[in-house]
Amino acid sequence: MRGPALLAAAVVTYVVAAWMVAPGFYDGFGPQQPYNWTCPPPQAGANLKPLSGHADIKVPGGVSDAGSAFANDGQIVVGFLPGAFDATGKATIAVDVTPLPTCPQPPGIRFVTNVYHVVASAPLVKRASVVLVYSNLEAAPTAIYQADDPAGPWKSIGAARDAMPFTITTTSASLGYFAGGYPQTTAASGALRIGGGSQVLPIVVAILIAIVLLAGLPLAMLRRRRGRAGVEADEDEAKATSKS
Amino acid sequence: MISVRNRAHPAVRAVLVGAYILCVEWARALIATQPRMAIASLVLGGAALGLVAVGWPADRLGLGTSRIGLRIIGGLALGAVLLLPAAARSGAVPILPAGLAAAAVAISVGEELAFRGALYAALDELGGAPLAIVGSTVLWTAAHSLSHPPEFLGAVAAAGLLLALWRWACRDLVAPVIGHVIADLAL
Repeated sequence: MRGPALLAAAVVTYVVAAWMVAPGFYDGFGPQQPYNWTCPPPQAGANLKPLSGHADIKVPGGVSDAGSAFANDGQIVVGFLPGAFDATGKATIAVDVTPLPTCPQPPGIRFVTNVYHVVASAPLVKRASVVLVYSNLEAAPTAIYQADDPAGPWKSIGAARDAMPFTITTTSASLGYFAGGYPQTTAASGALRIGGGSQVLPIVVAILIAIVLLAGLPLAMLRRRRGRAGVEADEDEAKATSKS
Repeated sequence: MISVRNRAHPAVRAVLVGAYILCVEWARALIATQPRMAIASLVLGGAALGLVAVGWPADRLGLGTSRIGLRIIGGLALGAVLLLPAAARSGAVPILPAGLAAAAVAISVGEELAFRGALYAALDELGGAPLAIVGSTVLWTAAHSLSHPPEFLGAVAAAGLLLALWRWACRDLVAPVIGHVIADLAL
């Protein structure tokens, strides 16, 4: 019975160890860095405040250069094409990216990223690309939302499909306030709801341990019985060996 | 002399298998940081890891087909355990985009064939089950040290230990493969 006992201990060890860190550590699919929250969710561990950023876009020959402005923690990147701004009479265009210190949750929308304010010293005349990083602690956003004022109204400006893992990207015809989220009337796209919350956790853990043991016990017992009989591999496996 | 010579070959094989796996895992972690290389690094990494199992008899890898129903149930149970801590706290678990799903399957299968398949078998041959369990878990954790923040490595090690113990207790690799695929697909 040593095998099943060790397996049960390993299940408990794993659940405890995984419980102590943010979810999403499988094979590098999680974000490379923990998300810096303005308003961290309860399951977030130690949190750093999100950073702001600043960029100066040069205007050689009256046409603004290509460039990008980003928060210094990389959680938002706004990219500009050449001539993206009406640069009349300017030598440079200043772009500031600032995380909003509050966390508005407009009706009908669930924001799962910080809200960022992007402002430039010249009007935008070409669409800018917007890339937002999101956390694995929340369901994936389905769109980026934009508003001229944090109080709203917020409108969806869509999302491209080829974004990198844990990023969402789109283009915008205007600057202002940006956040990633999903319509609250429907479940988040690509989200698997596992209800109950932490109250049912001990019961679920106990059931899972029982399932693992019930599934593993017959295999372990058969192996033990065969080991005693001096048969190391079962017949099927022996056949596989002889074939290979 | 004879016993030393007999033991030298398994040791060399275990070292080579371990070094190869570690190089592949670290290389794919570095490549994945390049723009638009995430999927390619996972698919190619999974294929490169799977290569290390070529030439091993199926039974040595734990890939027998007997009692396949129990093995599949075991895999589902392992998958549920691996997902539980994330699912219970987040309430919603993001499922991978379609483009990453195939890559997730490739890397999951490749890692299991490499760590709990070939590496486990090589270490088992060298020093028995204790060395195979501990050695495959240590190397598994080291292999993820570039792709994961340090605070995640305890959980990564615990997952490796659980899968290695299953491999030992049930002499089975089918369930770890299924459990690993489920966990990677959901996260």
